Amino acid sequence: MKIITFLSTLNRRWVYTLVWIAVIIPLLFPMSFKINTTPEVQSLYDAVENVPDSSTVLLTFDLWPNALAETEPMARTALHHLFRKNCNVVTLTTIPLGGPSVAERVTREVAALYDKKYGVDYVNLGYKPNYVSVLRGLATSIESIYPTDNSGTMLSQLPLMHTVKTYDQIAFIFIVADNGIVDNWVSIVNAQFGKKMCAAVTSVMAPKLYAYMGSGQLTGILGGMKGAAEYEQLVHKPGLATIGISIQSLVHFLIIALIGLGNLGFFLERRAKQKEARG
Amino acid sequence: MRTTLPLILAFISGIIMVVSFFINPEQKVLGDISQELLIWASIIGGFSFLLGAVSITRVNWRSYKTRRPGWGYNLVTIVGVFMMAIPALWPTSWLPESMASLAGRNAGSVYDWFFLYLATPMSQTMFAILAFYIATAAYRAFRARSSQATLLLITASIVMLWRVPMGEALLRVIYDGLPEIINTYIMAGINMSVQRGIIIGAALGAATFSLRILLGIERTYMGKG
Amino acid sequence: MSGWELFQLWVMAFGTIAIFSFLYGDNPFYKFAEHLFAGLTAGYYFGLYYDTVVVQQLWIPIVENSKWSLILPGIFGVSMFARLIPKYSWMARIGLAFVMGSTAGIFLMSELHGNVLGQMGGAMAIQNSGGAPNYLLTAIAAVGLICTLIYFYFSKEHTGVLGATANVGIWFIMISFGAHFGYTVMGRISLLIG
Repeated sequence: MKIITFLSTLNRRWVYTLVWIAVIIPLLFPMSFKINTTPEVQSLYDAVENVPDSSTVLLTFDLWPNALAETEPMARTALHHLFRKNCNVVTLTTIPLGGPSVAERVTREVAALYDKKYGVDYVNLGYKPNYVSVLRGLATSIESIYPTDNSGTMLSQLPLMHTVKTYDQIAFIFIVADNGIVDNWVSIVNAQFGKKMCAAVTSVMAPKLYAYMGSGQLTGILGGMKGAAEYEQLVHKPGLATIGISIQSLVHFLIIALIGLGNLGFFLERRAKQKEARG
Repeated sequence: MRTTLPLILAFISGIIMVVSFFINPEQKVLGDISQELLIWASIIGGFSFLLGAVSITRVNWRSYKTRRPGWGYNLVTIVGVFMMAIPALWPTSWLPESMASLAGRNAGSVYDWFFLYLATPMSQTMFAILAFYIATAAYRAFRARSSQATLLLITASIVMLWRVPMGEALLRVIYDGLPEIINTYIMAGINMSVQRGIIIGAALGAATFSLRILLGIERTYMGKG
Repeated sequence: MSGWELFQLWVMAFGTIAIFSFLYGDNPFYKFAEHLFAGLTAGYYFGLYYDTVVVQQLWIPIVENSKWSLILPGIFGVSMFARLIPKYSWMARIGLAFVMGSTAGIFLMSELHGNVLGQMGGAMAIQNSGGAPNYLLTAIAAVGLICTLIYFYFSKEHTGVLGATANVGIWFIMISFGAHFGYTVMGRISLLIG
């Protein structure tokens, strides 16, 4: 049958073209729909709101540069939320490629909007190898694991680090990640030292974290661009995630249509073969 | 001795970390030793990555020198390595004050510029093209060959609709509380229970593997010889 | 837009388009960009680890704070390079032994305490939704967990009651993987949009 031949021999480049069109149309003709807040994101927002003002929060940039589209809006919104509460922010990363540079750039950009001073209101510890040693070692002494900050300044020269020595002086841990490091934060830091934490992760990682949230080991989850858009809405700082999630709608419909079309071709082909076999 | 000594060291360092789990981290003797061990592990782990960087340069240099097919691309790789490494290692004192910020790793340096304007866009694009592969896979490979596969595809479609505002609005037309039902019973119910089972299974596997390393049964990390 | 900003934009565009060109087919531009990216990444690692490990974790504490105990991990770290010389590659094992041993020790306890006990504790509690206890949800979570664990238990053949439970587990797993697939599609599309 012609339709079976068409469906089974469709060149992949036509599929790529359809994806491009599905991305470009919402860019040219913006659509906006209401973004409803899910309980996980609301719980994360409430947990950060309940952190006492002016306390110190550890914000991790455990992300590779390839997932910045999802993770950078989360980190930015978290910084807005924390700086608005006058919280001191200590950033670090367990990811070598890009983590220190992204943390430096994003934190400085947002801190400048709130007149925050480096060394007093926020510090970027940077990266140190072997994340297991880092996560475990920070419990005893931050300075022994990080003798200097990301740019080589001794911690003793940074006023904020005079009062932040271990996890005990950190009120909350906000993890922004695009890999399985969240498991280690939970199993090493939350389980042994009882630190309250939440996780902002890419869509790929999000389904797994429902287990940690269900057991109370995480106080909230941001999952992918939708989670980032919900958080931006709650913090009243609409950004890239809010724009991106509207564009995403059409592509999702396209993927569902492609699954349906592909299976239609499959069923038609199977039925034709069965008819042929029966003679 | 070449095999026994590392095994003994692995056992001792592992046992120290196991015992330190049960004691107060501020405890003087064991606490100090375990903290020192963590610093050592961090330092030595860093050298292994340096080894990797040196190794990749060595492999590409060999391919270039012996003029293997595609040696031009190996040369490009080597140039890329030095493009990043030399500005990062260049001492700032060797440059005039007006150009000192170009050396090192800080924002505004050559190292940071190459990362921000060359490496990051290429890295992001490599992952962005996965979207196209997912679309082709959705069309060509995701077949409802069995009832279980059909259930998987139906669930995926429902979740894909739920995760975008337009799709969620469509689901609310069917039934107003449908998105909440999906979140509560599919994600926080069925999905959570399965992920919990996987986490427990994986954790038991990881603990077993760790015990095998401590006891010297697992020696693959030592390599040949 | 200044000339320098325009140049930066073109550099980013070159890298992006060169990688995107792979969608049409393998080509020299893509190969060039791919190899350049590999080199930039290796060079990035070289600069990062030299600064964070050699300078910040070794040189500064030893020279400025007289922490002489760090000379030993420095020696072990340098001995890792013996891997490149087959005759002396055994020397790299000592440094590796410290790393593997301490990591294994931490993982042994953290996985059992944090993941196994933590998740079991969560499984035994009543699940809440909308701030109130939800017993249907709790039942689903309990059944799902048991059936999933039984499905992944391969030490006994899946027959009889065990087999039936494992079959139920498959259905739960298919739903979970379907949700995971939906999220994965979302993630990939987000990266394209970003």
